[in-house]
Amino acid sequence: MSDFGAHVRKAREAKLTQDRRYSLRQVAQRIGVEPAYLSKVERGETAPPGEETIRALARELDEDTDVLLALAGKVSSDLKEIILRRPRLFADLLRQLKQAPDHAILRLVREVKDGDW
Amino acid sequence: MPVYLDRDELIFHADDVHPDARFSLAFQRTLRIPDDGRDHPLPPGLGRFPLRHVEDHADRLPQGWVTRGGVMFPMYQAEAMWILFSGGGYPFAVKIAAGKINAVSGERWSPGLNRDPQDYCVLPEQPWLDGYAVERGVIRQFVAMPLGQGYTAEEQLTGAAEWGGVQIVAYPMKAERWEELRRRRAKEMRVYAMRAPMVAESAAMGLAPGGRMRQVIVRDRRPLDVWDQRHGLRCHVAILNSADWAAATGSPAPQPPVSARDYTAAGLPWYDYYAEAPAVPGAAALASLKSVAALARERHGDAGDLAEPVPVQRVLRIGQTPGRAVTSAF
Repeated sequence: MSDFGAHVRKAREAKLTQDRRYSLRQVAQRIGVEPAYLSKVERGETAPPGEETIRALARELDEDTDVLLALAGKVSSDLKEIILRRPRLFADLLRQLKQAPDHAILRLVREVKDGDW
Repeated sequence: MPVYLDRDELIFHADDVHPDARFSLAFQRTLRIPDDGRDHPLPPGLGRFPLRHVEDHADRLPQGWVTRGGVMFPMYQAEAMWILFSGGGYPFAVKIAAGKINAVSGERWSPGLNRDPQDYCVLPEQPWLDGYAVERGVIRQFVAMPLGQGYTAEEQLTGAAEWGGVQIVAYPMKAERWEELRRRRAKEMRVYAMRAPMVAESAAMGLAPGGRMRQVIVRDRRPLDVWDQRHGLRCHVAILNSADWAAATGSPAPQPPVSARDYTAAGLPWYDYYAEAPAVPGAAALASLKSVAALARERHGDAGDLAEPVPVQRVLRIGQTPGRAVTSAF
């Protein structure tokens, strides 16, 4: 069973214990795929679906889209676009950050600039 | 002494004081409560407002905004919001001003903390702040109005429309006090909060007093010297008219807010938060402000839907672990 499929199945079944609308059939219907296909995905018998379907699944299951895409071995198209716009800058940055702890990365990319007020 | 922006939350982390000295703050969309003179229960959170770095959009914003730095978010005219504090229990004293008018004391912005009258909120005791402290246990809701039309608390108290937005400074508890507290409370700790064209200066919004709501601003029972006032964390938060958000950021503005009437008609609940904590008395200067509805009535003879009563039927009482609903369903 793939990490992606197992993760999706676990998330869906956790919701199913609270809400019957999270049956395999109903979730498949809401994200626009066949139940048999979703079943195969969950059991890791077929490759993970495309980005749009993964996004729909993430919305449906309240999962983080980037995490779900990563489990499927994919990078969000908007992130690809950001990297492709300034490839050298972001390639250097990501290599430098490869070993950095989370708090250091957070400080680097998210600090709010204070000004004169 | 950094303030970070992460997924529409401001994270205040005084890591040079103590690794645990951290909390986050988000601006929650909400219903505008009726400004009908009655005291209302707490409306729900309808998801976070999107927050963006001002400097990321510097080429489309007035220079004055860029100089102030910080972050910004969009609000519709007459839309309401509340501020949600979340964290791991490290105490902070947080001063919140709108248009550089202190929301707790009604005084003009000044650095540092004051006790008489108290001009800050204490975390983790204070889970949220919905408006200006006008009386003990009563606030008037934060409601966005365009700066320059005379509605905001800033304009009513200073006669000038200079700042708008929200100003925040947070002071962590001194590290040694925290270590003492942590040892004493080792068994009691818990997580506490659940609950292309240039944009013109006229896009700036300020906060004005709206309807009355039951809410305690917790009185600080600690001595003032527990707060580490040498290590304050500051952030300026500009509020941009939602109509100009797409032009400034390239991202669509959030949907217009749902009305209190529609929300209530759908059978959805309001909240009453029960806390035994002592309250600050509220500020006379803030109590003297005219609400948005009162000013609209004075000027136009009619407050429109601002004062329209809403028959609230479902009020959920929430207690010491605040469970105020926060949803993005709207």
